[in-house]
Amino acid sequence: MKSISLYVDRQSFLHRIDPISKIYYIVAAILVPILYPSLTVAFAVMVISLILLFLGKVIRQTLSVYGFVFLVLITVLIIQTLFYPGNETPVYRIGQVVLYREGFFYALTISFRVINIVTSFLILVFTTRSADLVESLVRKGLSPRFGYVIASVFQIVPEMMSAMGRITDAQRSRGMETEGKLSVRMKAFLPLIGPVVLSSLLNVKERALALEVRGFNAKGKKTFLNEEKNFLAPTAVQWSLLAVILIAIIWRIIQ
Amino acid sequence: MELIRVEEVSFAYLPGKLVLDRVTLRFDHRSTAIIGQNGAGKTTLVKLMKGLLKPFDGEILIGDLSVKKVTAASLAKRIGLVFQNPNDQIFKGNVLEEVMFGLLNIGVEREEARVRAIRALEMVELEGKRDMNPHDLSLSQKKLVSIAAVVAMDPEIIIFDEPTIAQDHAGKERIKEIIRYLDEKGKMVMTIIHDMDFVAECFERTVVMNRGRVLLDGPTREVFSREEVLKEAYLELPTVAQLSKRLGLSETFLTPKEFIAHLEGRIKG
Amino acid sequence: MKKVMVEHLKYRYPGTEKLALDDVSFEVEEGELIGIVGRNLSGKSTLAQAIVGLVPHFYRGAYGGKVIVDGIEVLHSTVSDISRKAGIVFQNPFTQVTGSKLTVYEEVAFGLENLGVPRSEMMERIDEALTLLGIYDFRHANPFDLSGGQMQRMAIASIIAMRPEVIILDEPTSQLDPQGTEEVFLAVQRLSREGMTVLLIEHKLEKVARYADKVLWLDEGKVMAYDSPSKVFSRDDLEEHGLAAPIYTQICKALKLKSPDGETYPVTLEGAYEVLKRWN
Repeated sequence: MKSISLYVDRQSFLHRIDPISKIYYIVAAILVPILYPSLTVAFAVMVISLILLFLGKVIRQTLSVYGFVFLVLITVLIIQTLFYPGNETPVYRIGQVVLYREGFFYALTISFRVINIVTSFLILVFTTRSADLVESLVRKGLSPRFGYVIASVFQIVPEMMSAMGRITDAQRSRGMETEGKLSVRMKAFLPLIGPVVLSSLLNVKERALALEVRGFNAKGKKTFLNEEKNFLAPTAVQWSLLAVILIAIIWRIIQ
Repeated sequence: MELIRVEEVSFAYLPGKLVLDRVTLRFDHRSTAIIGQNGAGKTTLVKLMKGLLKPFDGEILIGDLSVKKVTAASLAKRIGLVFQNPNDQIFKGNVLEEVMFGLLNIGVEREEARVRAIRALEMVELEGKRDMNPHDLSLSQKKLVSIAAVVAMDPEIIIFDEPTIAQDHAGKERIKEIIRYLDEKGKMVMTIIHDMDFVAECFERTVVMNRGRVLLDGPTREVFSREEVLKEAYLELPTVAQLSKRLGLSETFLTPKEFIAHLEGRIKG
Repeated sequence: MKKVMVEHLKYRYPGTEKLALDDVSFEVEEGELIGIVGRNLSGKSTLAQAIVGLVPHFYRGAYGGKVIVDGIEVLHSTVSDISRKAGIVFQNPFTQVTGSKLTVYEEVAFGLENLGVPRSEMMERIDEALTLLGIYDFRHANPFDLSGGQMQRMAIASIIAMRPEVIILDEPTSQLDPQGTEEVFLAVQRLSREGMTVLLIEHKLEKVARYADKVLWLDEGKVMAYDSPSKVFSRDDLEEHGLAAPIYTQICKALKLKSPDGETYPVTLEGAYEVLKRWN
């Protein structure tokens, strides 16, 4: 059983940036285009994010994610171009179908924003070990309980999947059809839920006991096995990102 | 008569890592234990016979039916499997419904299913609990419910996966009785198990697996007389066999009863 | 010195009517290995959890009497405080892995990080625990890639690294194959030889007879006996309370062959051999 980390182990400057700075970047990449609502800015941020992914040498791994995102965005683009309530200026006509300029640009704005959000998160997820991220957050004062939840999800989800497989096998062994038509599959779902929920609850209880006796709730300061890593100029990176956000805010206020 | 034929079966979960390597086995009505350490391929073999996995090479026939050609669900009439942890299958609100679930799946009419389920519950002596919620029962009782649920479907072959795990002495004795009863009724009983004392007491034939292959296969007594081979598979002798070996006896004894009878003769004699 | 003192302990889980532990009293000396036996639901696991403080602090419920572990009273301490005195290893190797650590080494560090052990000392303790349990070579492996026996030894190492005075093992081998079982028993024996006080809950009485100094037998939450393995396993009322004596004992009893002390029956392979060899 392996954890489902999306982390890609590469040598790049992005891998050496600390996780907190990457979170700052996510905030900046989302906030700036909202504060400064122009297509050009959104486009520029998007290009910067994509260049970063490229420099992080992980762009190939992200393609499947984009495949899914584009599928959704193309739908949005078509629907908005045709039916956006503010549509006035027709640009193209195919028989009865009219494409409008307003809807098209509206959809483009949405698309850039979505790609911005997705890409900035991908930068974090694909170039950061989940354990490093959680540890950085806990050092910054995040509750260790919350940190544990985030870190464990990556390993415990595969464990739940294997429980699901076991339970499916148990019911198939008793003659339950799980293959074939959709209606058959739907019917087969019910006998899985009960045991899956029960087994997860039991596991959660057992795991809670095991954590408890290893001092999970100990008061007093925690220590860390790993030394704080030497990341690339965290203060400089964070301050510059903060400055960018601030400038955008100030610009917004004086507008 | 051959009930199951496993012909040159290979299987891998990950490419290049064979879990079963050209295994050939024939099973008749004799009760059979499959032993071997974790990762030896026992569970995979059983899942293949149940049709829960498909072999990527070789052929498995249950009677004259090839498991490749049918779904696991449709094999359920012929071959039953009792899972290790009863919590993995119990989901109905009362014991009787739980036992009827499999019967209804294989197309038995409701009334008939009810009668057969009650009969199966009588066999495991839980008839009195049929209206209870299965989750209010003890773990041993839940195990018995899961056994009844498979026995009620009346398959010719019944496989147990680690039936004695988490059972205490009384629970084990109860399962021993059930296995003997099914054996006498002409069912083919097979089990995957780590408890060698239990194997020695209950099973006629023993198959030893190691690293995806059959290392030894024969009458249980013969298998347990070959300690050097068992060691290779990281298995130990049953307690009684350990004692007879320590005493330097040439015969291999399997149960305390046999052993006591043998020594009684000497002490009196 | 007494490491564990249990005095008239009574306990009932919330929402139940029956006492899970009913007036349990016993004492354990430093360095002893105590086998705890009894049928399912006899109170063994509840007792184990009462020693590390999960009973009553995790479950709540009605509690009476006293449990003192290395001088501190469980009722008036937190589970984290008690974890420095007594550690517990559970049955299921999977559910006691934290799931938040990527290597065996980090997994063992989990408890030490929580207790605030300084980094340099932490590494020293982890190395020692991993070596003692014979899994040092797996220190960089992902915890979920280990076999059951290795995982269970990792669980023991995780507790040992916290340097408790007492370790309790609740059926640590019930889900393992024969080889994994052997690995874990050898590890337990090694701990015991190092002077650790060990409480071991176990169904396989042949194993208990072989390793334990004393046996605590529970039934329906009450102490049935607390004595040497040979005394406890020679009793006539075992079967009546859902226990089967070790097979060696069953055989010698049926043949009416007592140990040289003239009172008890042999409980181990060697004991049985000594008694039986002249009939061979």
